[in-house]
Formats: sequence, structure tokens, C-alpha cells
Amino acid sequence: MININAITKEYIMGDNKLLALNEVDVSIKEGEFVSIMGSSGSGKSTLMNIIGCLDVPTSGDYFFRNKNISNYNSNMLAELRNKDIGFIFQNFNLLPRLNALENVNLPLLYSGKNVKERTKLSMEALENVGLKDRKDHKPNQLSGGQQQRVSIARAIAGNPKLILADEPTGALDSYTSLEIMKILNDLNSNGITIILVTHEKDIAQYGSRIIKMKDGKIIEDKKNVSS
Amino acid sequence: MSLVDLIYLSQKSLRSNILRSVLTSLGIIIGVSSVITMISIGAGARLEVEQQIERFGSNNLILRSQSSNNRGVSMGNNSVNSLTLKDMEALKNELPAIAAIAPRVSLSTQIIANGNNWLATVTGSTNDYFALGNWKFENGRKFQEDEINSGSRVAIIGKTVQKNLFGTDSPIDEVIRINKVPFTVIGLLDAKGGTAWADLDDTIIVPLKTAKQRLVAKKFPGDQIRSMTINVSSSELLFKTEKDIDTVMRKLHKISANGNPDFVIRNYAQFLNARQESSRVMSILLATVAGISLIVGGIGIMNIMLVTVTERTKEIGVCMSVGAKKRDVLLQFLIESLMISLIGGCLGIALGLGVIFGVSEYFNWKMSLDYMSLVLSFVFSSSIGVIFGFYPARKAASLNPIDALRYE
Ligand SMILES: Nc1ncnc2c1ncn2[C@@H]1O[C@H](COP(=O)(O)OP(=O)(O)OP(=O)(O)O)[C@@H](O)[C@H]1O
Ligand SMILES: [Mg+2]
Repeated sequence: MININAITKEYIMGDNKLLALNEVDVSIKEGEFVSIMGSSGSGKSTLMNIIGCLDVPTSGDYFFRNKNISNYNSNMLAELRNKDIGFIFQNFNLLPRLNALENVNLPLLYSGKNVKERTKLSMEALENVGLKDRKDHKPNQLSGGQQQRVSIARAIAGNPKLILADEPTGALDSYTSLEIMKILNDLNSNGITIILVTHEKDIAQYGSRIIKMKDGKIIEDKKNVSS
Repeated sequence: MSLVDLIYLSQKSLRSNILRSVLTSLGIIIGVSSVITMISIGAGARLEVEQQIERFGSNNLILRSQSSNNRGVSMGNNSVNSLTLKDMEALKNELPAIAAIAPRVSLSTQIIANGNNWLATVTGSTNDYFALGNWKFENGRKFQEDEINSGSRVAIIGKTVQKNLFGTDSPIDEVIRINKVPFTVIGLLDAKGGTAWADLDDTIIVPLKTAKQRLVAKKFPGDQIRSMTINVSSSELLFKTEKDIDTVMRKLHKISANGNPDFVIRNYAQFLNARQESSRVMSILLATVAGISLIVGGIGIMNIMLVTVTERTKEIGVCMSVGAKKRDVLLQFLIESLMISLIGGCLGIALGLGVIFGVSEYFNWKMSLDYMSLVLSFVFSSSIGVIFGFYPARKAASLNPIDALRYE
């Protein structure tokens, strides 16, 4: 599903260059659950953003489902994010003025689905995360765990093939974290590819494969036997 | 993303900041209300001029006698009747630009008919009086030749006189007593309505000769008359003829070019011009106010939209991460600024209508509201919204998804 060849991401800060990613090669197959670990600043988020088409690499090739993304324009990338990819962020990133249902609706609005269709899909997604009865709540009327579940619902509403979760449990207590991981695990059982960034070993254990990064490089990549 | 959804999202974010939205549209409010008021004043002035011409006839000059105050003492308007029918004939003969002249004598007196009593102005004149004054007949007829020559006691009355003497009954062939002299009513004039000064329909017209013999023999002895309405053949000749009349009259009355005349010429066109001029000055003033406030309003919108874009950078990033294209973001912010300016447009229309209503009530100015000005206001305010909202919207749309998402 994902083929990354010698991707480099360079930031220029004044006079010195900073290599956030240094010739990274990685490929991820459909249906995998990949956990990425590594110390702070090792380039995990940078890699995720490139995989999610939010950011573009300085050099290297990126094939998503055998298509070379490197020469996609911004509209094509937007469409890809809309149809094929769902994001889950550490700080939820829900729109404060919209209620839960409207937040889940957002990707469907941009894909041009009609009201009936998107209400159906959004309600299904909310049901999947167990928040059907909170559909009229604004983000500030929800707990952190509930907000994260709404953002998972938003990520899955458009039936994407890939979900990118950058420290989805980073702002949650351990009990709520387990709830979230259970949902991600269920999604993976239903065939959705998941890439998860985390600092916690036991959270990473949900993955079928664990990648370790350091200084913009992958230093370890192996099957997780215990999962 | 459909337009309905865009509008829904836009009103959501505007509503969360309703005071800010309204304050931002203040410039538009003032600009639009000025535009509406300006157009109404202009249209009102034009309408008033048209109505005045309708009432008093166009291309008319009024020549009236006036006591000459050679000794520095005004004797009052009615003390001397210096105009005569001879003057009238002379003017007609000497000035070919004059198409017609209606002479006039008049008095205010008691009218009795049908057991009712009414005070009205009675005019003695010729049939020209009706044509020159744009009078139309609701009923009955003008004077006949023999009635004019023989001094018949026939009268044509206005609507107000009819109402007060006969109610809604037809006055034709009824007898009215003017200053105790019985007259037969032969015609009823169409209503003209009132001016600020007088009710034009409170009038009775009788043949000149009859009036001079039966009603005003003492007041206007011999061939003296009160005034004449002079119709000039074309409007271009109006001002030249006014001067020519002055010259001829001075010659006839043996008054030197710089002496005090015993007559006065009223040029109605002059009054109308002044009226139009003052409304034009007012319109220019309002147009300036409108122009400035629309531009200031536009800049206000641009400013607030730039603030909004900055405030919502992260939100824009979130939208982009779930699939918003540049076009979606651009439209979203354009619609927001359009909505702000349309709120301003609507409030401006309301304020403008208030001003128009207030001014026309209070100053008795005629203001005419036309639908074009409403359409124009919408066009103005929406184009301001789009023009000044474009730069902030483009700024939002050109954000990089990851930079927007990372913005704190
Ligand atoms: N926009 C940027 N400009 C400059 N440097 C950046 C930018 N974004 C990231 N970096 C740098 O790139 C490196 C990798 O950052 P990245 O966010 O990928 O780290 P991370 O592995 O996700 O760390 P964390 O676990 O703390 O989230 C860091 O050294 C960071 O300072
Ligand atoms: Mg990170």
C-alpha cells in the first residue's frame, strides 16, 4: 500500500540545515497495524505527515497504492486525504463551533455527499465509537476520551483505507487510552491499515509490526510476535 | 462542497461573533443608506419638478403688478393695479415668442349655494387660463364665445369648492351666489391637489368681462388687471423672453432701465432650477459620504477577515487534513465576507428607509424610493464584500496544510 524510497525531509533554519528524515525507506502492506516509536525529535511526525500527504518530502519517492504521489498537485492531494486517509491527532483537532455530528460530517461535506448519505455515514461512525447519544454535544461539552472518539469517527466516516494516528493517547489517561486502542484494534480487524505513533511500549504492542526511529532514520523494523 | 453547506458553515462562524460582524459592517451600513437616500432625494426632486410642471404648466411666466416704492415706501401688493389689457395686447404684438397670455383679476369672497357657505378665490380670465395652467375638466365645458363677449354669469369651479358646496353631487347647471350675484356652474375642474402654500382646487373661474362688471368693478376699474400668465413658445426662449418683457413693459410704463418697476415677472423655471440644484448639491454630498464609507467599510471587512483567517489558521489546517481543497477554503472565507457586507447592506437599507421616511415627514421634502436603489445597494455591498474579502480568502486558501495545522 505504501512504498517510500529514500525520502529526505530537510528544514533550513538560518544557516544550518536540519535533517528531519534522512533517506528513509519503508513499505507498508494493506491491513497492517504499524507502531512507530522513537525519542522526541526523531522524525516520527514528519514521516506521518508525509505519508498522510499533509507535507511533501524534500527528495525521494512516495508511492501510495502504486501511484507516485510526488507529482500530485494540491487538489489531488486534498482528494486523496479526503477519500483514502483518516487522521487522528494527539490534541483531537475538532472544530469548536461544530457539534459532534457536524465534526464527523466534515470530510463528507468536502467529498460532496448529500445530506441524507452523510448523516447516515456519520451516525454509523459515531455508533462505532459509542457516541451516538452525544451527537449534539460541542467539543467543549465532551471529555478528552470522548473528543478523541469523535475524531476517530471523523477519520473513519469516509471509509478510508488508511488511518494515521499520531500519539492518539498522548493526552489521555491509561484507562481511556485502552478504550481508544480497542477501537483502533477493531478497525484494523475490519481491514483498515493503521499507522500509530506512540511513546508508550504497551500501546505500541497493539501493532503487528514495530518501527523504531532515531535521528531521522529507521533503526529497527520487526514483527511484533506478542500481538 | 455545496453552496448551502458553505453558507451554513459561514453563518455558524459569523454567529459566534455577531457583535464583531455587525460592527465590521458599519461602514457598509452608512454607505448603503447614503446611496439609498441620495437616489431618493434625486428622484424626489425630479418627481416634484415634474408635478409642478404638471400643475402650473411649463414655459410660463407670471407678470404681476407691484406698487413701485419710489419713495422707499412699499404700498403693499394690492394697492396699485398697474397692468392693463393694453399692456397685454402690446406684449402679444411686440414679442412673437409669446404663444398665449391669460389675463387675470381676482378676489376672495363668500360663495353661497345649496344652503352652504364657503370662502373661495374667484378668478376672472379667458379660456387660455385653463390651457396655460394645465387644468383639465372633470365635467362640463369651457366658456363659449358669446358668454365671454356678453359678460354672462357662468362659472367653472374646482373640486374643493364642489365638495364644500355640493358634497359629491354634480354642480353642473346649479346656481351659486358669488358676492350675492347668481352664477350658473357650467364646468367642474379635475383635482390638482395642494402645494405647501395653497389648495389649488379651492378656485372659481368666471369670464374676465363678467368679473370686471359684476365682482371687481371698483378694485380693477377700466381695463386694469391683476396679473397675466404668459406662455412662451419654447423653453429655450424662456429667459430671453423674460428680459424682453421687462424691456417692453418699462417702455410702456415709461420706467428707465434702472428705475423701480411697477411690475414683477415670476419665472417658475427659476424656482424649479433652484430646487433641482439644491437636491443635486445634497446628492453630491451624500455620494461622497457613500463612496468614502463604502471604501472604509470594505477595508474594515478586509481587516477583520485577515484577523479571522489568522485566528482560524489551525482550523483551516484541520479542514485541509480532512480534504478541503484550496477552492473550498477560498469560497468559505469569501462567503463570510460577502455575508458580512450583505448584513451591512440590509441594515443600510433599513437605515436608509428610516432616513427617507424621517426626512420626508419632517422637512416635507418629496423623496421617491425606487427599486433600482435597492438593487444597486445589494450590488454595491456584495461587490465590496467580494472585492475586499478576496485577499484574506486567498491568503487562507494558499496556506500549507501542515503549516496551518501546526500553527499555534
Ligand atoms: N516546521 C519545522 N521547521 C523546522 N524544524 C522542524 C519543523 N518541523 C519539525 N522540525 C524538526 O524536525 C525534527 C523532527 O520532528 P518531528 O516532529 O518529526 O519529531 P517527532 O519524532 O514527532 O517528535 P515528538 O515525539 O516530540 O513528537 C525535529 O528536530 C524538529 O525540530
Ligand atoms: Mg511528533
